[in-house]
Amino acid sequence: MNTLARAIALAEVCQSFPFLGPSTTDDLLAMVIADFGSATAADDLVPPTVLHILAGNTPAAALQTLTRGLLLGAHNLAKLPSAGLPEVGEFVARLPAALAARVETSTTLPEAWLEQADAVVIFGDDETIAHFRNRVRENQRFIAHGHKVSFGVIFDDPSFASVEDAARDVAAFDQLGCLSPHVLYVGGDARAYAARLAAVLERIPRTASPLSAACAIRALREDFAFRAANNEPCAVWCGANSTVIYDETPGFPHTPLYRTIFVKPLPSDWSAELHEVRSHLSCVGVFPNGAALAKLAIGRICPMGLMQLPPWTWHQDGVAPLASLTQNPG
Amino acid sequence: MSEVLAAYDTLAERILAALRHDLSDAEFDSLALDIHAFQRRWNEPYARFCATRPMPTNWREIPATPQNAFKRFALSCVPGEHIGKTFLTSGTTGETRGAHHFRDTALYEAALLAGWRRLDLPRLRHVVLAPTPAEAPHSSLSHMLATLAVESGDTKSVAMLGTALAFLHHFETTPARVLPPGSFAMETGGYKGSGRDIAKVELYAMFEQHLGLKPDAVLNEYGMTELSSQFYTRGLGAPHTGGPWVRALVIDPARDTEVAVGEAGVLRIFDLANLNSSLAIETQDLAIRHEEGFELLGRDPAALPRGCSRAADEMLRR
Repeated sequence: MNTLARAIALAEVCQSFPFLGPSTTDDLLAMVIADFGSATAADDLVPPTVLHILAGNTPAAALQTLTRGLLLGAHNLAKLPSAGLPEVGEFVARLPAALAARVETSTTLPEAWLEQADAVVIFGDDETIAHFRNRVRENQRFIAHGHKVSFGVIFDDPSFASVEDAARDVAAFDQLGCLSPHVLYVGGDARAYAARLAAVLERIPRTASPLSAACAIRALREDFAFRAANNEPCAVWCGANSTVIYDETPGFPHTPLYRTIFVKPLPSDWSAELHEVRSHLSCVGVFPNGAALAKLAIGRICPMGLMQLPPWTWHQDGVAPLASLTQNPG
Repeated sequence: MSEVLAAYDTLAERILAALRHDLSDAEFDSLALDIHAFQRRWNEPYARFCATRPMPTNWREIPATPQNAFKRFALSCVPGEHIGKTFLTSGTTGETRGAHHFRDTALYEAALLAGWRRLDLPRLRHVVLAPTPAEAPHSSLSHMLATLAVESGDTKSVAMLGTALAFLHHFETTPARVLPPGSFAMETGGYKGSGRDIAKVELYAMFEQHLGLKPDAVLNEYGMTELSSQFYTRGLGAPHTGGPWVRALVIDPARDTEVAVGEAGVLRIFDLANLNSSLAIETQDLAIRHEEGFELLGRDPAALPRGCSRAADEMLRR
């Protein structure tokens, strides 16, 4: 199969996974053109062997990296999280035989895989990344996607036009993705926005969160209920499906995720507000679209509602999606 | 002002009389509701919180103060000038420390000693692996271990008392030395802020290897700066239990109801000896409910989701 044939086949399979967002043949080929200059430039590549070390937080990242490897014609070794990732099996099952043959999966890491790989793509915490960084050879390409946090900025929305979009961005993947917002900064009446968001989030069903997360969420709810009762500038909306916390305290908040979202007024000093997370920022969702946020110098700025749907050409963590798998390191 | 002090004194007398092994459920319930009424009347931050909750009809319904509230609010019934002792939580660098204010430590000490005597341990010479109260005046742990000195005897066998972390350091820095027969150890606390974590079964193997103490000769104490009473377990596999004046519920975090026996949830504690602050505390610890007592799971960081957007506090801790 040449690049075009692979793109056609992959685009068809990607349609079965709506969380991957728009994934037409043209969308996939756009990646090839952006990275190599033409849609056929990758036809002549010696196909690399790519080891993907996948995390369990979202299936999207796993299917995206496999799609990129397959588009290049690579042989793909997928180390699944120990608890498995069923979407990967479903994805491979839908591939034409010629592409399916280019994917091997395992929940444990065969020693030979690390040896065989030309490129290692890893999703995980800093500890896991450091572990593998120490094990790769100098001539192996190493692409690491570590902890990231994202947030939304709603500059002005008195009619709450952005609430549905914001709720969708919060709800996707139970907020476990690096593109999931932890906080929404809202201009105007942020407290009213929080109340509206809580109502909309409650309409989006979800599965139960793990016990440790549920306990952390409960602790946060009770903590803010106590603070609100004592006239601190905060409020909490506790629903069956979500927790929305309005808080005027400066600083990027910590959330136990699983639909626990902070709503805060727009900060007067962005630099101070984001100081603690500056090196971990991934994406900012913005409303209204086109509002200026350039001074934040964050990798990806997108309209609210599209935070979880990055284009295929996006350079996640500053890395070219395809070229990074084929070019020599350094 | 004399009103709050008089009410405190009256309740303190009743609590002292309740620190006994045959305290009935009805007595616990009645005293708990009276203490709650007192705290609702005089502990202003707690009173404002309670105003948002229904009035309890039995002890299980008493609104529990979230543990974090001790970091932000002065939770005291008596006014500041009558606070005789304040213990602070251990807290890592830069973290706000929780403050537990006492009018005096009489109730704390009485509850501690009543709980200790309930264990029916031999009176042995105490060896304490912790700073003294003079070295750590705000440490409830140091105060606790010093108070237990009255239970110390003049024997060859010893009772070694300290934090799990202190024992770990001891094992790593001191040659193994088998303690005389009949000795025992009591370990407490976790590894907060130390960057260390070790499974209990491994720690207890070290007790045997370094001190010659079988697991059944090692006790674990579960307590908190925010409490006045303690829970204990002995060896491996047994649940933590406390005296009848301190009770624990294991709560389903989503439904806010008690879980069934064998199920896990968040630990909520009702401690009659916590007179000046809040008798009901919602901890952040996970536990499994047993027929009697609970099995502590701790904060269970291992069960937190892993991935590129793990909880931000995990990330920021690095």
